[in-house]
Amino acid sequence: MMTSILKASMAGMALAALATAASAGGTLRLDEVAVGGPDPAKAADYSDSSLIFNVYDTLILPRQGGPGHVPHLAESWEGEGTSFTFNLRPDVSFHSGNPLTADDVVFSFERTVGLGQGLSYLFGLVDSVEAIDADTVRFNLAQPNAPFVASLVRLPIVDKKLVMENLGDGEGDMKDWGQAFLSANGAGTGAYIVKSHNPQEETVMLRNDNYFLGVPEKAPDTVRLRYGLEAATVRTLIAQGEHDISSQWLPPEVKKALADDGMQLLTESGTGAFYFKMNTTRAPLDDVHCRMALSNVFDYGSVLKLIAITDTVSGGSPSTGAIPVGMFGANPADEVLVRDIEAAKAHLAACRYDPAEFTVEISWIAEVPLEERLALLMQANLAEIGVNSTIQKVPWALFTEMVSKPENTPNLSQIFVTAVTGDPDTLLYGMYHSTSAGTWQSPEYLNDAEVDSLLDAGRTGASESDRQEAYAALNARLMDLTASIYGFDRQSVFAASPRVSVPALSDPAMAFGLDGMGFAFRLMEIE
Amino acid sequence: MRSVCKLLAGRVAISLLVLAGVSVLVFAIARIIPGDPARIALGPNATAEQVRKLREQLHLDEPVWIQYGFFVRDLAKGDLGVSLYTNRPVTTDIAQFLPATLELILVAGIFMIGIGLPLGILSARYRGRAVDHVIRIASLLGVSAPSFVWAVILMLLFAFFLPLFPIAGRISTDYEIARATGFLLVDSLLAANFAAFGNALWHIVLPAFALALSGIGQAARLTRANMIETYEKPFIEMARSYGFPEKRIARRYAFRPSLIPSLTILGLDFAAMLGNAFLVEAIFAWPGLSRYGVTVILRKDLNAIVGTVLIISAAFLIANLVVDLLIAFLNPRIRYGQESK
Repeated sequence: MMTSILKASMAGMALAALATAASAGGTLRLDEVAVGGPDPAKAADYSDSSLIFNVYDTLILPRQGGPGHVPHLAESWEGEGTSFTFNLRPDVSFHSGNPLTADDVVFSFERTVGLGQGLSYLFGLVDSVEAIDADTVRFNLAQPNAPFVASLVRLPIVDKKLVMENLGDGEGDMKDWGQAFLSANGAGTGAYIVKSHNPQEETVMLRNDNYFLGVPEKAPDTVRLRYGLEAATVRTLIAQGEHDISSQWLPPEVKKALADDGMQLLTESGTGAFYFKMNTTRAPLDDVHCRMALSNVFDYGSVLKLIAITDTVSGGSPSTGAIPVGMFGANPADEVLVRDIEAAKAHLAACRYDPAEFTVEISWIAEVPLEERLALLMQANLAEIGVNSTIQKVPWALFTEMVSKPENTPNLSQIFVTAVTGDPDTLLYGMYHSTSAGTWQSPEYLNDAEVDSLLDAGRTGASESDRQEAYAALNARLMDLTASIYGFDRQSVFAASPRVSVPALSDPAMAFGLDGMGFAFRLMEIE
Repeated sequence: MRSVCKLLAGRVAISLLVLAGVSVLVFAIARIIPGDPARIALGPNATAEQVRKLREQLHLDEPVWIQYGFFVRDLAKGDLGVSLYTNRPVTTDIAQFLPATLELILVAGIFMIGIGLPLGILSARYRGRAVDHVIRIASLLGVSAPSFVWAVILMLLFAFFLPLFPIAGRISTDYEIARATGFLLVDSLLAANFAAFGNALWHIVLPAFALALSGIGQAARLTRANMIETYEKPFIEMARSYGFPEKRIARRYAFRPSLIPSLTILGLDFAAMLGNAFLVEAIFAWPGLSRYGVTVILRKDLNAIVGTVLIISAAFLIANLVVDLLIAFLNPRIRYGQESK
């Protein structure tokens, strides 16, 4: 008996070795940082967003290749000010087979706000949502809020009937709001259906053949989203043809090595930037001249070389000001920020603090090794004008606590910030409005009435031109105040096997302008 | 038999005390390390109000001793709380991930004992000869590099340059084995799917070997040193003078007394693998408890941290208990010493 088992096992091992390379088929294999569960009301970061965008749909979608939004689950919408009405498509069904109705939209909103997690704060100004009839739903806002429509790309619509049938333990009528169920299962209308989810291993998704927009034949049949793979493992897997797309967190050297081996580099950009944030409440950076000295001495050219992966692909593009290129109020792409040592020296001379008597603290987030290099670059730049500095490595968890008090906040904090809906409001309000001070996004502790007023104007602007005007003025004001050093506009880079084609991550005309949405699997092609 | 029961009862009592101490310590440490668990769980974009609500819900706004009271009350019901990372009960997570790690370290333990001890015996028996030198150098290499370095080296050698073994995972995606015990090797045999068993075995070889390498080196070195010491004892000289063959002397008279100190260390090594496996698990994408432990520590998932550490501590204590019993079984002086008390 033992001999038979041993023989069979050896045969199994041999067969498995032969079969590995050939077993890919129409399967797309990619990796990301671990996702606890595919609950749409909790998705907030890149990895869970890209998963949710495939399992669930939203009323609208960002327009590909340009600004604005297009109908998606909604056939059309109308409204302005404080009331928006959406007419739903009649031909949409959930994975369970239940038809989509306005009640599902109301439930999805109430669940998101009721749980109060993820990006639920985006809907803080929504007073109520009501189902007018089975196919019509109305959102009533407490006050005009221009970014409201954009925020709907963060309201995935959930199958109410299925969730209600699977409520777990909890208090009140809604018990746990279906959290236990949705932490391992999907309840959406999306192009892919969750087959299994293991937070330590992978989420397996299957193509939804009943998707209301149809899924092209060349799109993957199965998607395996693997979690927490080490760089060495991803490098080996891709090189062996056992993995298709890496996460953006792969070190640049590994991406370059893969590109040298013939892999393609995919990119996603336009919604965020890298900043050195200056604490405006503590000496010496409470003096605008000191801040301008630092801003002028920073070597914007060298930082682009540091983040370059190949001669043509980089982890970012030149910054032109406080607002990334492509957003409302951004400066033209050719007006890039440049280093000016003479101006830096002049501002330092005008600063009321003597550079010989202060030391600037530069922090970097321990989980982002690239920031150490950027801190060293900043330190070398500061030394050129006689400013001493120290570098502090700070774990993320500690950083979020440190910045909650201005006296504990470092002089310079390095942060990547992204607009979670693609609208500048979700990028700028949290960073610069005086009521937002003291979070990881706002270690500047900026308190400027004009900035507040312009941010409010951008939020309530009646038309796109009003908003454009408000954000352009805000951009200029922020540059005058120099509360941050605008290092570069961020671009995510992914290494991918040549067997996949991802237009939304390689053709700017197909890009969504929203982090994570480029990973719409239905728009990919796989050999 | 009575003496062994007495020994066992004493050890179990001490183990329970240690476990209670560990729970207090971990509970306190998890709350002292920087970072607000509610803030981390809700993500960087959560508002202060959202964070406040979750803190309230988790009793984080109460003093630590009251929080510990809640923990003990729930623990008595077998409830370790809900993980903020997976949104599932911690007991569910542990039940899902522990078998993968146990399977890995059990196979690594088999490698450690099955390769390390024979190498030590060989080395001692042929002391000063070429075989001894080769084994000593290899053992030294094994213990001098941590498991994760071996993991990367083995992956490069046997999965990348010479693609003999798989790079990641527990089993190929072609197989779907119904979960009975969570141990894939066992479940595939229960399902009488020998091809799947072979596939799972094929997947476990590299990570288990990487994890076992330093233990193999340690076992070989310890066994060699202890056997050399035993070879110098008068009873070995007596056995030789009776004309017993060298094989028999090595196996029956030298190895057994030499095993006792090795066993103590190997027992500790075996239990320590549970904690040390996380980098090997990370490199080979092995969905086990050690990797889960690191993930929840980084996310400051309090319930999951305490649950994972308690399980690892319990495993450590059980391994020690087993080793103590084995030593008592092998060494009559310990058994009888216990009885005479």
